[in-house]
This record gives sequence, C-alpha cells and structure tokens, in this order.
Amino acid sequence: MPGEGSQTSPSGRRDGFNDSLRAVTIKQILDAQPNGDEFKIDGTTISQLTFVGQIRNIATQTTNITYKLDDGTGSIEVKQWSDADAMEVNPIKAKLVEGAYCRAWGKLKSFNDRKHVNAQIIRPVEDMNEVSYHLLEATAVHLYFTRGPVGGTNSASGGAAANGGQGAQTGGGAYGGADLSGYGQVAKRVFQFLRESPQSNEGLHQQEIAANLGIDMAEVARAGDDLLAGGLIYTTVDDQTWAVLEAD
Amino acid sequence: MDHPQTPRILAPHLQSFQHKLVRMLGKVVQLRGETAVIDAGGNVDVILNRDCHLAIGHAVEIIGKVDGNLNVKVQAATDFGTNIDFNAANAVVEVTHRHKEIFYDGD
Repeated sequence: MPGEGSQTSPSGRRDGFNDSLRAVTIKQILDAQPNGDEFKIDGTTISQLTFVGQIRNIATQTTNITYKLDDGTGSIEVKQWSDADAMEVNPIKAKLVEGAYCRAWGKLKSFNDRKHVNAQIIRPVEDMNEVSYHLLEATAVHLYFTRGPVGGTNSASGGAAANGGQGAQTGGGAYGGADLSGYGQVAKRVFQFLRESPQSNEGLHQQEIAANLGIDMAEVARAGDDLLAGGLIYTTVDDQTWAVLEAD
Repeated sequence: MDHPQTPRILAPHLQSFQHKLVRMLGKVVQLRGETAVIDAGGNVDVILNRDCHLAIGHAVEIIGKVDGNLNVKVQAATDFGTNIDFNAANAVVEVTHRHKEIFYDGD
C-alpha cells in the first residue's frame, strides 16, 4: 500500500498531463497498449474515452453496475460505481436495458490483465444516427493520430480536399488571410507565387521562384528573408527552399 | 469472447463474408413471414427468427450469419426507426473496410 501510494503521487506523474476525451471503437480499447498505469491508442496516451455500444448484459452488484457493451468491433465491461447519495430511481437507468444502445464516458482500467472501463456517465442513445456519427468520429480521430490533421502535408486525399476549399475561399485575395501590407513589391510577388504554384510539401527553391517571376536572385533572396522573418513562409529542405506557413 | 465481432457490411459485401457473422443496417422493404427483404445497399433476403419484430419502412440493424446463398440468418434485430441517415450509415460501412484496423480483425 505505501509503495503503491507513492507510485501514483502527483510528483511522479506530472509529465504530460492529459485530460483529453477521445472517441474510440471498442476494438481500439481492447488493442490499447499498456504504458505504466496508462494506455496508448495510436501511440497517444489516452485519458477519458467515449464510445457507443449495445448492452449485452447487465450485472447489478452492491457497489456497481457492470454493463457489457458490444459495438460490433468487440465487447468490453463498463462499470458504473453506485453513488450512495443517489439512491432514488434514475429515469435514465430504466432505459439502459439489454439490447439498447448507449453512450459511455469513462477511463480505461486494467485488473489482472482484464480491461474494463470505469464510466462516469452512461446514457441511452435516443437518435440511432449517433451510432454512425460516433463510428465516423472515432475514424476521424484515429486518422488524425495516425496520418496527421486534415489538410496537413502528408494526408493525400484529405489534403487535396482542404486545398480545394482554400482555393475557393481565397479567390478574391492573392495573399489568403496573410497581411502583406508592410512588405515590398518583390516580397508580395514571391509570397503570391509560393501560394499559388503547384508544389510538393518541400515548397519551392528560390531559383525557381526567381526564374518564374523574372526577378533577380538577390532580390528574391532578400524578399525571402523578409517573409521568413515575418513568419509568413518557412524553410524546408534547405535555407533556399521555402513553403508558405499556413496559419489557421 | 462471448460477443464476437460483427463487421458492418452492405449487400455488395455479402460474397466476401460468406459463413461469417455480420451486422447490417437496412430498410425493411418486404415481410414474408419467416423471411424478409431489407435494402442495405441492395436487396438482401434475411431469414428471421421468432424474436424479430420488423416493420416495413423502418430501418433495422440485424446481426446474423451470411449463408451459402447469400441470405442472412438473423440472430438479433434492433429497430432503428424511420429517421436514419443512410448516407452516414453507409459511410460507416465504407470506413469499416477502408480502415479496418479499428473495426475488425481480418483473416
């Protein structure tokens, strides 16, 4: 007891404080990798989880109610500890019957290598579209952690879609949302060229920019320095290759 | 595990899930006593059990086994009402197979 108590004392666990809420499938919970007292999904430490499943079994004990939830990807026990002060009949609980879909929020625990979730809240799903919504959200979050944000440099189809949207949005102004009022004419042209030219995520080399704009290399370099200093572009593979810094 | 995985599929997937347990969401188009037809990306013949209470026009989620004739032998059916967005539901099936690492174990 003393040993375990000190293990989990705040001093030992302050690194990477995390109180996120993540939508997951039950398969992801079952596949979660233990990491000390915590678990990781897609390489990211998890805290609160939320998921939707169908109640397969309900076991009422003196201290808790254990629901077995099944979402088609797997099944897991979800424990809701009884609150002694709330002994009056809960109208929500009456709807949590076998076969019903519900959404749970809670934390993943492991006891003797058996995973379960300690749930703070379990409520019935009233609109069945929530089942689809949840599974799509879990997929989106999974893709965020495994492939990066939508529109990020390494998400192929998502990135293209996001860029399409951006193009439409910035049709009016060549500089997008960026404020180039304090920059010289060359810097403005360089920035516009970087924004509008098709390129890989490495951006463009200053030589290419100079050649395309018909501007002297030295001037392009100076303009680039200004844009770099202003945080509007950034260097990629070397100091002479730039890409537009997309700030949202 | 007492509740095996039930991958979500649509009619075009039946062939590749023969003799497997699946989950399908479709609209009930025909009731014929012991059997019914649901539209889940195409018509599917389902073989009912005694506990099924299907209603024409309602969405229903069935869990069942795909047989050799590509009928689905129902083990459980859940009424999903009349307000289901099938575009969203079908998108779930699509991501289930595209990103199956979070949905089911392949073989």
